[in-house]
Amino acid sequence: MKPWKFADLIADPAVKSRWERVRRYFFLRESTYDMTRRCNIRCEGCYYFEGEKQHAAELGDPEAWRALMRAERERGITYVVLAGAEPSLVPDLLQVCYQEMPLGAIATNGIQRIPESVGYKIHLSVWGNDETSGRIRKAKHMLARQIENYQGDPRAVFVYTFTPHNIAEAGEVAEILSRQGCKLTFNMFSAPVGYAGALRHTPDSLTQTRQAMCDLLARYPQHVLFSTYNAVAHTHRLGLHDLFGCAYPRRNPSTDLGLGRSFRQYRTDLNWDREAACCVPDTDCADCRHYAAGSAVVPARLFRHAVDPDTFNSWLDYVDTYLAVWVMGYEKGANLCNTVVAPPGFGID
Amino acid sequence: MTAAIELDQMIVNIAAIMIEELKLEDVTPETFDPEIDLVDEVGIDSMDLATVALVLRDKYAVRIDEDDYPKLTTLRLISEYIHRKLADRG
Repeated sequence: MKPWKFADLIADPAVKSRWERVRRYFFLRESTYDMTRRCNIRCEGCYYFEGEKQHAAELGDPEAWRALMRAERERGITYVVLAGAEPSLVPDLLQVCYQEMPLGAIATNGIQRIPESVGYKIHLSVWGNDETSGRIRKAKHMLARQIENYQGDPRAVFVYTFTPHNIAEAGEVAEILSRQGCKLTFNMFSAPVGYAGALRHTPDSLTQTRQAMCDLLARYPQHVLFSTYNAVAHTHRLGLHDLFGCAYPRRNPSTDLGLGRSFRQYRTDLNWDREAACCVPDTDCADCRHYAAGSAVVPARLFRHAVDPDTFNSWLDYVDTYLAVWVMGYEKGANLCNTVVAPPGFGID
Repeated sequence: MTAAIELDQMIVNIAAIMIEELKLEDVTPETFDPEIDLVDEVGIDSMDLATVALVLRDKYAVRIDEDDYPKLTTLRLISEYIHRKLADRG
């Protein structure tokens, strides 16, 4: 079969328009930052409280953070992800970061509202319905409190993390969120290194999760920020590293280009360690299907997806989803490809 | 046409593609310094290189392997890479 030319792949006006739209964001260069060692809940399988980073000293000086953000800007960083343990507990630091770096996202449990003056995307972690949250996160009425804090807030995206045990609850949660006009995307529980608990996915749970994701995407297209290709990429029997080759420094020795060159994961003491640098440190790479990892790893593989219209359009859907989830003001378009497409070089599951 | 002239012409042609695709300003194909570091001095990154690689694939029917991107940090290196692949193909 004759290979497709790139010019032909983008000949369709709708595809061309989407391509032109997403490529405007190719300038984004991310790094991530642990903001505080404190959290107001303690969840089973939490990434922050694994490994060494939880023991770093906490440097809560706003001017030190300001200096760091300025230095980050100088070395080309254009996007910050503020996480661990619970960033909403240090609103003054969030404000400083936003003043210095206008694009970014905050990963929060949503119990405490982040001031509107911090204009980043806000990702609210949802681990099931309130009964399940109560059990796993030891916190009552999580979803109700998150909705109360963020309903109608254009910054907010609810991130539903699928485990093998909350797949059936996703419909109930999606229904509640869509009724309240909230945006929702999906994450996959990805086991930390050495994790021996019950939340690790199995082949059966991966299959069921893919089906649930596609069903909810079809049922709530105005509220679910996702695509069929997202579902495939994140529920494949192989993790993201095996499918796409993770580009984060932890798995990528090259310092010449891309994430290997610019990405850092800062701890609360404002130091970083290349050996541990990825979006969710202490995840078992073989089990990594994390939404944040995919958001960097899949878009980076543009070339290998430009092979035929379905594969390229699936990649565009993925990038469109990533931008809608992570960038303030970016509105997701309708998905271009709703058929199941395999990651290049692999089967569909 | 000698190989050196071919390479010089290819540098100008690829410069034109990069200017067009990456919307570079204040430079023409003739004034584009083939030795300038594209990452450090022009500010392009892996996604930009992937875009250029796709357009070059169309023009020259040459595939630039993803693993080779980190080595292609100047216009000259990109041009030599394409030139070499074309020569290998005969």
